[in-house]
Amino acid sequence: MSAGLIPATNAAPERAPALELRSVVKHFPLRSLAAYGKAVHAMDDVSLTLEAGGSLALVGESGSGKTTTASVIARLYERDSGELIVAGLPARPFRGRAESLAYKKRVQLIFQDPFGSLNPTHTIRSILERPFLIHGLADGKADLEARLSDALEQVGLSPASEYLRRFPHELSGGQRQRVNIARTFAVEPSIVLADEPTSMLDVSIRMGVMNMMLDLKERKGVSYLYITHDLAGARYMCGSIAVMYAGMIMEMGPTDEVIRDAVHPYVRLLKSASPSPEAGLVRTPLDAGGEIPSLIDPPPGCRFHPRCPYAEPRCRESVPGLADLGGGRRVRCVLALR
Amino acid sequence: MGDTMLEIRNLSAGYATAKGFVRAVDDVSFSLGRGEFLGVAGESGCGKSTLAYAIMRLLRDNARIESGSALFKGRDLAAMTAAEVNAHRWTDMAMVFQSAMNALNPVLSVGEQLTDAVHAHRSVSRAEAEALAAEMLALVDIHADRLKSYPHQLSGGMRQRVMIAMALILKPELLIMDEPTTALDVVVQRSIIEKIEELRRRLGFSVIFITHDLSLLVEISDSLGIMYAGRMVEYGPAAELFNDPRHPYTEGLMNSFPSLTGPLRRMDGIEGRTPDLLSPPPGCRFAPRCRYARPTCSAGDPPRLEPLGGGRLSACPYPRRGEAYGCAPAAPAAPEGGSL
Repeated sequence: MSAGLIPATNAAPERAPALELRSVVKHFPLRSLAAYGKAVHAMDDVSLTLEAGGSLALVGESGSGKTTTASVIARLYERDSGELIVAGLPARPFRGRAESLAYKKRVQLIFQDPFGSLNPTHTIRSILERPFLIHGLADGKADLEARLSDALEQVGLSPASEYLRRFPHELSGGQRQRVNIARTFAVEPSIVLADEPTSMLDVSIRMGVMNMMLDLKERKGVSYLYITHDLAGARYMCGSIAVMYAGMIMEMGPTDEVIRDAVHPYVRLLKSASPSPEAGLVRTPLDAGGEIPSLIDPPPGCRFHPRCPYAEPRCRESVPGLADLGGGRRVRCVLALR
Repeated sequence: MGDTMLEIRNLSAGYATAKGFVRAVDDVSFSLGRGEFLGVAGESGCGKSTLAYAIMRLLRDNARIESGSALFKGRDLAAMTAAEVNAHRWTDMAMVFQSAMNALNPVLSVGEQLTDAVHAHRSVSRAEAEALAAEMLALVDIHADRLKSYPHQLSGGMRQRVMIAMALILKPELLIMDEPTTALDVVVQRSIIEKIEELRRRLGFSVIFITHDLSLLVEISDSLGIMYAGRMVEYGPAAELFNDPRHPYTEGLMNSFPSLTGPLRRMDGIEGRTPDLLSPPPGCRFAPRCRYARPTCSAGDPPRLEPLGGGRLSACPYPRRGEAYGCAPAAPAAPEGGSL
């Protein structure tokens, strides 16, 4: 099954990245008469690489385009332009439902809201059966039963029979998110897109869910794109990081290096704003004010320049390209060119 | 921190529900000095918001203060009539609510809402009220042009600044903030907190700052109170609580925020879930989730906050016996082979 990907003409490339985006653009046209012809610039020139078996944190504030990026990768909607490459195979329009299903089996999404993402009128059994039935993964009733138990037990919900007959409202937020994760892993995906999977959970149980996701990744060998607004959580979960601002990736590279030694002024701002009590209780005040600009009329040039303490005239004139700093680090800022 | 501004003594408050009375705040005591910044941390359902609403006497109709007192400069808020409370509310103590979108009236301009607050408590001319409103907006770095704006025309951060300006417009001595930055992005959150700090230094009011984000509170608070299932389980100076927690729940919460710049280590958070307040577990309410719990912990009345010296209090009877726990800052209870 080609899964909506262009089959390799030769042998598939060795150790191709799990996922690549190359200059992907996604704009949402506005439908109101007053805004005729305008669009929300949710993603502009987004390029990123998720290594096979790797984990990439996509970090940004609300409105930065990180959820749009996940949705474009999951092909919930199609990109306007640019390339989406999965395991070395470029994506092309789906030809029929079978291809779309095959793609979705490979690339799975975990949603943020554990309350809204499980149908309240279905039991956990019926919720969890669906991926096996839709993708034809179970071989008879006994096999389905065994798979359901496995799926729940590997996310720490055991005995499975206790949970299968319950309804979502009978579970806590953490348990519901575990059901979501069980459903995601049921189809044995190779890429998991996790959109703020712990942000709606109580703080004391977040680590349990995060640790479970790390363990699952090791066991299953999947690749993670982990979306979060929390730099410290990104560091805990992922080896690489890409920081988005107003629809564009501003800086990316190995997580520790980017956090320790950020080049882009926005990433520095994000770092200095993030709680970090262990770094000492005295902190320097922020040196940039303001908020994320409108994505309908994004500022010309660098989208961060209106807030940037280092902005120069040329920052207004053109969008800086992603400069390669070596060692996997790339920065979209004129400062990096000095 | 000087003299005591607010003293909460054995305060209990809760909600009458179809299934019975839910005591969301159970026997809570603490005091707040003039100009002090107290952070109250806890998870959803721990009673931290009910505590704020009880102090402000803004509890909903099905809720009531059961017992205890809340002494504001020596006068008991819990015993006052509605009219007496009205005289204090907003003039002496004001509140910033969690959702600025819902707390502001969508059909009134910012200016009208700010001047309303003034007219409700002071007999001043319209021009004076408007001047005061403009002055307050300037304090939170919003241009006076915005007096004519409606809430939907402002960003989330600006709305929360307007809420702060409104809370401070009558120069209260106590500001209670219930998750004021939870819905905001981290950069906006930080700029709002810096603004509150600056205003507190200038105007000298006391703050009770309520949030679930302990990592944030540790940085900004003088003192910290940790709530769990309606009870205050630990209280003390913020830095000491962070470096050397004396309650297993505090320790678990500290173990729930990965480090941004320090060494990376596995963190386990806390197993299990918060109890149902309709039928809380016997004894220490945290015992069912506590990795150090012993059989005696799950019997009798919930343990009370006991002083440990140095202004610190803990409701754990074994705060530093060393047998079970009492961790040093250098080696926070190693999670290796722990409960997960």
